[in-house]
Amino acid sequence: MVTLLQFTLDGLALGNARVDEFTQLTLNGLTLGSVYALIALGYSLVYGILKLLNFAHGDVFMVGTFIGFGTLQVLGGSTDPVVPVWALLILITLAAMAGCAVLGVAIERFAYRPLRDAPRIAPLISALGVSFFIAYSMQLMFGAALKNYDTFSLDGGALYFKGFDIGNVRVPLIRIITIVSAFVMMILLWLLVTRTRIGKAMRATSHDREAAAMMGIDIDKVIVFAFVLGSALAGAAGVLFALRVPTYATIGFLIGLKGFTAAVIGGIGSIPGALAGGLVLGFAEAYTQGYVSTRWSDLFVFVILILFLLFRPQGLLGKADIRKV
Amino acid sequence: MKKRGGLVLALAVFAAAALASTAGAGSSAVTRSQAVSCKSTLKLGMVAPFTGGAGFLGNEQLSWAKYAVKTLAPKYGLKIKLVTGDTPVEQGPAPAQTLAQKFVADKSVVAVIGPSTSGAVAASSQVYRDAGLAHISESATRTSLTKGSALEATSAFFRVVPGDYIQGPTDANFMIKKGAKNVVVIDFQEPYSQGLADAAENVLDKKGVTTTRLSIANTVTDFSSFVTKVPSSADFVFFPTQKPGDAQNFAQQLIEQGKKAKVFGGDGSNDATQFKVPGSFVSNFAPDITGIAYNKPLIAGWQKDNPGKAVGSFGPPTYLAVQVALNAIKRACDAGKGSIKERADVVRNVKRIFVKNSILGGDFRFSTKSNDPLNAKFYIFEIQSNGSYKLVG
Repeated sequence: MVTLLQFTLDGLALGNARVDEFTQLTLNGLTLGSVYALIALGYSLVYGILKLLNFAHGDVFMVGTFIGFGTLQVLGGSTDPVVPVWALLILITLAAMAGCAVLGVAIERFAYRPLRDAPRIAPLISALGVSFFIAYSMQLMFGAALKNYDTFSLDGGALYFKGFDIGNVRVPLIRIITIVSAFVMMILLWLLVTRTRIGKAMRATSHDREAAAMMGIDIDKVIVFAFVLGSALAGAAGVLFALRVPTYATIGFLIGLKGFTAAVIGGIGSIPGALAGGLVLGFAEAYTQGYVSTRWSDLFVFVILILFLLFRPQGLLGKADIRKV
Repeated sequence: MKKRGGLVLALAVFAAAALASTAGAGSSAVTRSQAVSCKSTLKLGMVAPFTGGAGFLGNEQLSWAKYAVKTLAPKYGLKIKLVTGDTPVEQGPAPAQTLAQKFVADKSVVAVIGPSTSGAVAASSQVYRDAGLAHISESATRTSLTKGSALEATSAFFRVVPGDYIQGPTDANFMIKKGAKNVVVIDFQEPYSQGLADAAENVLDKKGVTTTRLSIANTVTDFSSFVTKVPSSADFVFFPTQKPGDAQNFAQQLIEQGKKAKVFGGDGSNDATQFKVPGSFVSNFAPDITGIAYNKPLIAGWQKDNPGKAVGSFGPPTYLAVQVALNAIKRACDAGKGSIKERADVVRNVKRIFVKNSILGGDFRFSTKSNDPLNAKFYIFEIQSNGSYKLVG
């Protein structure tokens, strides 16, 4: 009887540990997925209008992390900020968004617009070239060492020690900020695209560029706006990511590829799809690291990409392309 | 036509193979035996990571190497030029191999300080040995460089710091002394951390401590999922990274996930500006040299050349390495009556060097059984609430 009781208690303890592990991995996936969703949105916005895969987008994200870091230092750093913590976080995010928006406009103007009427391969190669140019320029200017926001030093570690618990799993403030901010931005984007004039113009251009032009929509303006929006979101994603994880100049390539994978999973060109894809990818990565192997998670992510491209190229929420023959 | 083309191709392949087979042997044979005048400017190579995640280490070492050359070379009557080569840890062994070829090909390079990292030593020691070029490391601690059945370094390799066969057990025994019952041991899939993790884990296992081994790729920066795998009951996470920023990040994420385990970093984590989570530990091969009275003038001189910089743990062993190298070069010059007949003369003299009252405290000499220092030890520091490192073991 005692043995049975002990076995039951051990089983319950093991069960509780398993539940805690699952909860923590889900939280990891949600945090990561929120960042991937913001990056995927940038891919979807540009692809939806231009049918162009902007492979420099991951490096725009990286530049966002650096702008956030630089702004943080200007505002006193994490040990001695000159503004309250909440204001500091808003300011570094806005700075990253603004800086990345400008970068996005420059990339569109100089790397893609001249190739708009060229064969599709040309802007793709240009995108790859821009990606490497940005990454290695940043490395040359700022070095290859990690840049750590050191958010642990902010307000005596409040972002880590404050929060709430789900069972035995802590949900610290820093994760709440990351997840909530990402969702708020996605909702604001959805409202902008569905409820505003410029959003309507973007949807029209995405549906049929020539027809939209004939209806009097300024296509160049719409395209630039798409780059501004997408790049600003990448900048915001950069800050949200770097609040918890140090950044470096070549981080953008792999994270950009994962953001692209999220966009494909969700349905490239679809905004709700980008959110869905980001979350699916975040959870897949977290659960693979937790239950299979940490060495296999990147492999698994790209296997998912290949499987979607082979069997469901339109993604979870995208629409299959119908071509008139 | 086809026959002729085939013949030309075959000749071209033969010529390329002949060239490749003679190139390496030729260059080392020439540079091994060419004499160098000690009145000319001799070069001291230095191989360290000056960029990348471990750039802080290389740059600190460089500042001390420059100071050592500036102050010691005139005392030995030598004209020395320091020539550097960068080996970012993120790029693996390739840069070290390229630099070895470069230094070996330059006959005025008579000794090398470094490589700083164990992986770089393993990748390049053979090239240096074949050219008879002494390479004296100030921070490569991997055990298998000088001990074990399959040595990764050669007879031309020396180090002025103890190996991980001392660091691993020292760290493990300290954790046990602190009451550790459950320890997570991590490696980063590269030589330094794997050797140190193995050494610590062996001792922990033998003393009945429950260990969990995790392996993380050197390029990972988001440790969330690894932190999730750390049991709630773990007392320590042994984290032998070469990037203190990663140690800081991991410690932060442990707190973020409500884990009680403390991070215990190796000598690669030793940087108070980057790794400063209170309650964490680091080990290092050098004590705090500012506590040694006879070092005061030396430290004052270094600080004059490096205003505003703190005396770290990686710089002083570099000073000692340069001191040993210059001493050996001087002896080779004396034996050769004003010239170094061959580089191997420097190698032979390195082993004989004795330094009284070395910068690291006490006298320094090499062990008779290996090219490691005699009677060296590791020191343990605990990170305080103000971020400073306090010697605790």
